[in-house]
Amino acid sequence: MKLKKNFILIISILLFNFFTGISLAVEPNEVLEDSNQEARARNISKKIRCMVCQNQSIDESSSPLAKDLRLLIRNEIKEGKKDKEIYKFLSDRYGDFILLNPPIKLGTIVLWFLPIVFLFFGFFIIFNHNKKSNKI
Amino acid sequence: MLASLGNLSLWLSLIFSISQFIVSRKTNKLSFLNISVLGLLFSSLLSFFLLIYLHIISDFTVSNVFENSHTTKPLIYKISGVWGNHEGSMLLWILVLVIFNYFIFKLLNKKNSTFIFKALETQAIITFGFILFTVFTSNPFERIVPPQPNGLGFNPILQDPALAIHPPLLYIGYVGFSAVFSMSVAALTLNSNEKILWYNYMKPFVLAAWTFLTIGIALGAFWAYYELGWGGWWFWDPVENASFMPWLIGTALLHSLIIVEKRKSLKNWVLLLSILAFLLSVVGTFLVRSGILTSVHAFALDPSRGIYILIFTAFLGGYSLMLFAKNSKKYAEDKYFKFFSKEGSILLNNVIMLVVCSTVLLGTIYPLLVEAFTNNKISVGEPYYNSTVIPIVVPGILVMGIGPLLSWGSEKKLDFLKKIYPNILITGMLTLIIFTIYKSYSVIAIVGIILAFWIISNNLSLLIKKNKTVSTGMLISHLGIGLLILGMTGSSVWQEEKIINMYINNEVKIEKYNIVFEKVREVKGENYIGLQGNFLVFDHKKVFITKLKPENRYYPITNNFTTEASIHSNLARDLYIVLGEGNKKDGWTIRIYYNPLVAWIWIGSFIIFLGGIISMNINSKKLKNI
Amino acid sequence: MRNKVLIIPGIVFFLILLTFFYLLIIDRDPSEIPSNLLNKNVPEFKTTTLLKNKNFISSVEFGNEVVLVNFFATWCKPCRDEHVYIKRFSNENKLRIIGINYKDNPEKTIKWLKKLGNPYSDIPLDKNGRIAIDWGVYGIPETFVVGADKVIKYRHVGPITKKIYKKINLLIESLE
Repeated sequence: MKLKKNFILIISILLFNFFTGISLAVEPNEVLEDSNQEARARNISKKIRCMVCQNQSIDESSSPLAKDLRLLIRNEIKEGKKDKEIYKFLSDRYGDFILLNPPIKLGTIVLWFLPIVFLFFGFFIIFNHNKKSNKI
Repeated sequence: MLASLGNLSLWLSLIFSISQFIVSRKTNKLSFLNISVLGLLFSSLLSFFLLIYLHIISDFTVSNVFENSHTTKPLIYKISGVWGNHEGSMLLWILVLVIFNYFIFKLLNKKNSTFIFKALETQAIITFGFILFTVFTSNPFERIVPPQPNGLGFNPILQDPALAIHPPLLYIGYVGFSAVFSMSVAALTLNSNEKILWYNYMKPFVLAAWTFLTIGIALGAFWAYYELGWGGWWFWDPVENASFMPWLIGTALLHSLIIVEKRKSLKNWVLLLSILAFLLSVVGTFLVRSGILTSVHAFALDPSRGIYILIFTAFLGGYSLMLFAKNSKKYAEDKYFKFFSKEGSILLNNVIMLVVCSTVLLGTIYPLLVEAFTNNKISVGEPYYNSTVIPIVVPGILVMGIGPLLSWGSEKKLDFLKKIYPNILITGMLTLIIFTIYKSYSVIAIVGIILAFWIISNNLSLLIKKNKTVSTGMLISHLGIGLLILGMTGSSVWQEEKIINMYINNEVKIEKYNIVFEKVREVKGENYIGLQGNFLVFDHKKVFITKLKPENRYYPITNNFTTEASIHSNLARDLYIVLGEGNKKDGWTIRIYYNPLVAWIWIGSFIIFLGGIISMNINSKKLKNI
Repeated sequence: MRNKVLIIPGIVFFLILLTFFYLLIIDRDPSEIPSNLLNKNVPEFKTTTLLKNKNFISSVEFGNEVVLVNFFATWCKPCRDEHVYIKRFSNENKLRIIGINYKDNPEKTIKWLKKLGNPYSDIPLDKNGRIAIDWGVYGIPETFVVGADKVIKYRHVGPITKKIYKKINLLIESLE
């Protein structure tokens, strides 16, 4: 039971961001010819926040700034920039706020670390559930 | 005049809540208690219906009507608009509070009087707090001077049937947990010699709250999908998270209650969960109405209201948690069980629900904490929740398939394997079949589909066998979750999308459909004008399927533009078209989406709801025999 | 033992409520994003200008005195509303103001400035919005205070109001 659970957990951790999403706002004239590059562009866009909308990514937003940023990202990809460089380019100008996937730095260590702590706490409870002094 | 009557009625409710508090502390004044409970009920009903009436007749001397309505708003949205704004929604919140209050009162009999009286006392405090807040900071009956000839209208994308009933259903959920909270406080203050089966009283209320919270959340997601036009239905928006967290705790609570009932164990844990569920509802209220963050859902409010709710939350939380810390000892009796057992599966469920809830809470408030301590702003969006929540939830879903089949105390692994191997085979077969239809493979697709069919086959087989030892409602709800996962997986991994520029009479192919852009015409509605695109959909055999008519609308009163997608649904897929910008000369930007299995998200959610209703029914009947 | 386990979450709960309380009582706009360029050097850019029709090179034009940079456009109504304050900065404080014209039509801009008054020493043109992106601009009008050392000291998003006007004035006085 435990082995099966761990296996599933590992696989699940590997797969999270793999779906082909849809966008309402990308326009026909933005789409790159190289489908790999376009897929990269869409993937990055989904993780960049639209600064003038409420909780949308630039991939979904129809605002002019979102469009500008989408085109910029495509340009950077065509110039051979890596994903990491593009994220840095945008966060240098707009701050970490524009990254929907919070970066792992000093200020966000707690954010990324705590779920693991919660999980270990959960395992602890499961393994000790029969100790009289323990509350679940 | 009517507005003044409404205001008076609101003040009356306040007074009745005080009287209920006082009277419930003296357990011999039954008739006064009766008056307080009924008085609360009728005065709240009166305030609520008066506000509705004021909106219907468009009385713009009342500021709430002025700010949110307009003479051209369709009647049904004049009514639902009452609870679409902050002040009006507080009246709805209060109404649901006093209705649950009444149902607690109805449970009263000679045997449980100390328990029910204490529950009513707590419920009175909660009700008093919310009515006080409404009367002094959010009074819907305030007048405006000078009176205006017409109102400011109302956001057109909120004028929608699903959105009209979404708040009332959600509030039954949030507020239902108040009754559970009150009972939990009451149970903690009982003397150890009083043998009251408080968990039996709690169960129907937990069921009611959880069931309606489920359908309320599902309706919100459903509305987002067909109204907002980008095919998504969940955005991890802080206010969405605020509804998800009580739901997670509610799910854990529901499952633990089973252990309390059947094994008389884990009573402490259930009491703590009951407190947490309502506290999260109140924290959710705080996030939405305090102005502390901006969200597409949040009512735009001023911080002074936020401070009030914060103090109220601190008071409720502090009091209940201290009470728990002090008195929970008397319910400490935990029985032994092996992990591979029914209790073990419920334990796993609880742990997972709590880990997910903690993570969602962390992600939601983290940006606020960062802002308070560093003056910097960060975003915690969908990618974070996808990487943290989905991996944690997967083992829980796996266990959901076998939980109902496990025995209490312990289960022999080999015997159990014999029980479930037919389902393993069925799951495998169904998975293979579906992958021959949708040929794209990915880890998430495979895991999601296997999980979905695993739950469906396990729970369906139990349902068919008409097993009397397991609750039918539970099996149906579990089945619903299996269907939900099927829909969520299919619609995310097998989508097809086409974004193209089309001229009139152009044709485009998506999956096995041919879509012809027939024409663009002007349309007019009750309070809008717009452009409508007409698209003819044919299948690969040139058979006509349907005509899709997406629109772009303009609402002159509020100066809003909206995009209405046109959707053709069947059980296998949705065809979803949106008309973008363009004109006859340059052509139009058209977005077409093929979303497989989306309908199962809504069907699954409804079936979860149905299971809850069936269980509520069974449990209420049991209550009459206590 | 079990009661002590609750103390930690209990304390965390109240600390979080306290943090929320703090956020509610300070003067704060929940929708405003702080600029990531504060205390950093002015982004480098080169473009043509309106009216004077010469090249604007940032490395040359900044670094001499305290300067205001105002991103504006004729199609933006709040830009029109705040223009009176921009003029006041120029007239009353003799401040040099650089008006970056964002995604606009040069002819319309000339007409707009003729009608409303021109407080700008230079009007660099940002035809495609790329300069704005380099400055982290997300909602015009936006106004930046740049020190004599080429360092960005302050940014305001949205039209200048009386309150912001006073705040910027105080800031400029402290810089000089």
